[in-house]
Amino acid sequence: MGMTTGRLGIRRFGAVNGLGLATLVKRETSRGLSDYNYHLLGPVVTSLLYLVVFRLALHGNDGGKSIIDFMTPGLIIYAACEKAYESAAGSFIFDKHERIIADMLMAPLTALERLLGYVGADCLGGLVVGVAVAIACFAFAGLGAAHPWAIAAFGLLGMALYSLIGVLVGIWAEKWDHYSAMHTFVLVPFSYLSGVFFPIDVLSPPLQALMHFNPLFHVIDGFRYGMTGQTSGDPLVHVAVLVGVNLVLGGWAYRWFRSGYKLKP
Amino acid sequence: MIPLASRRYGAVNWIGLGTLYGKEVRRFWTVATQTVLAPLVTGLLFLAIFVLALGHRIDTVDGQSYVDFLVPGLIMMTIAQNAFANTSSSLMIAKVQGNIVDLLMPPLNAVELTIGVAGGGVTRGVVVGLTTGLAMFAFVHFGIAHPAFVVFHAVAASLLMALLGMLTGIWAEKFDHLAAITNFIVTPLSFLSGTFYSTTRLPELWQHIAHLNPFFYMIDGFRYGFIGHADAPPETGLLVMLGVDAVLLLVVHSWFRRGYRLKA
Repeated sequence: MGMTTGRLGIRRFGAVNGLGLATLVKRETSRGLSDYNYHLLGPVVTSLLYLVVFRLALHGNDGGKSIIDFMTPGLIIYAACEKAYESAAGSFIFDKHERIIADMLMAPLTALERLLGYVGADCLGGLVVGVAVAIACFAFAGLGAAHPWAIAAFGLLGMALYSLIGVLVGIWAEKWDHYSAMHTFVLVPFSYLSGVFFPIDVLSPPLQALMHFNPLFHVIDGFRYGMTGQTSGDPLVHVAVLVGVNLVLGGWAYRWFRSGYKLKP
Repeated sequence: MIPLASRRYGAVNWIGLGTLYGKEVRRFWTVATQTVLAPLVTGLLFLAIFVLALGHRIDTVDGQSYVDFLVPGLIMMTIAQNAFANTSSSLMIAKVQGNIVDLLMPPLNAVELTIGVAGGGVTRGVVVGLTTGLAMFAFVHFGIAHPAFVVFHAVAASLLMALLGMLTGIWAEKFDHLAAITNFIVTPLSFLSGTFYSTTRLPELWQHIAHLNPFFYMIDGFRYGFIGHADAPPETGLLVMLGVDAVLLLVVHSWFRRGYRLKA
């Protein structure tokens, strides 16, 4: 009896609960991709629709090809990032509603392991979606890799950013309305207007200046720099801004995991 | 003893029909942020994207400035998606949560059920179309060439999509089915049927195919009401919409009467 309680109190693994972390990543990744119809085909169809519509609208116009090539990197990184947001936020709200969030809180995982587990799984899910969209777009647009380091760096930083936003929204939100309000009124407009479809150079100078305060602009512009070499800013500034924003949001999410804010009664 | 079995009102159960319609309208109105404001913001966002990305590359479409061409298409896209969403989600949620009996038990016949639920979808379509149109007018001062066509197509298209939404909601067994129809059929059709470009730009074969698609006529006819120019003869559009609406009404009515996928 005494031995049992004694044994239960101690973490019987090293500094990192590798098995627990891997289990969390596996659970979160598989639930995000379980229905490939909806989770994979949905973003692929949406991205292709944008390409087709823009191509047809510009039929016979010299700019047609160049605008498609411009949009493609934006659509790829946006689809990947949106997936990361959806998996993160959706997972918390669903678990809280179904009252199975305790499964995650009871597991012998530290706040840092939880944070890494969720963000890691969301980035994996985003990667799968991003690759699927890229393959589909290949039929319409020339895909390049002008700066492979930037593709990797901005892909990862971007998905991590959206995933952290998703974690924070998911922990804070009490109902699905909050989740979709954040999506419809903040994420989609700020992403779409910050360079997915057009270079921010077409905006008026004050709006352009304002864009540099929008972290989502740095993701999209940086990723496009990786694929095509085009950029409306400085890639190193993009990296610095995104690392900074990710650290701040990551630290915030870490505190919420540690304190159990809105997760523990 | 009051006889429970007989219908104690005339040919139409007005109170019942009014109650059902009121419930369908309140269903979306209580969450107007999600059901009216969200589509409005999305519509404005599309306007901004297409004008910023394409406005300086396209001078005119069918003799109209690209913005004037685009606005009616976007309003119609918003109307169509929302009328569909209202009825399909109403029936789907009722089925999943098991409160569909609240619809089947009251003394409402199939005609009253069809009109009550479809009426809610038409109202959502028209309300969303009107608010989105007003919001766009703040940025683009478009004119209205034939108001009667605008009104007719707004109502006829809302009805068409509301009825399609009812068929989907009755047929679907889980939310994934509904999401699949929305993502892979309704959204692509509303994107590709001339919202953003004139179908005269399509290769000839595709033009013929486009003209078999009712979505094309609702966008084309609605746009005719605004700019006075249509790709197809406007009278054809009126007839197609009336015909498709009539056929869908009959199908929905027969599904309600038989209790297809609703009654055990």
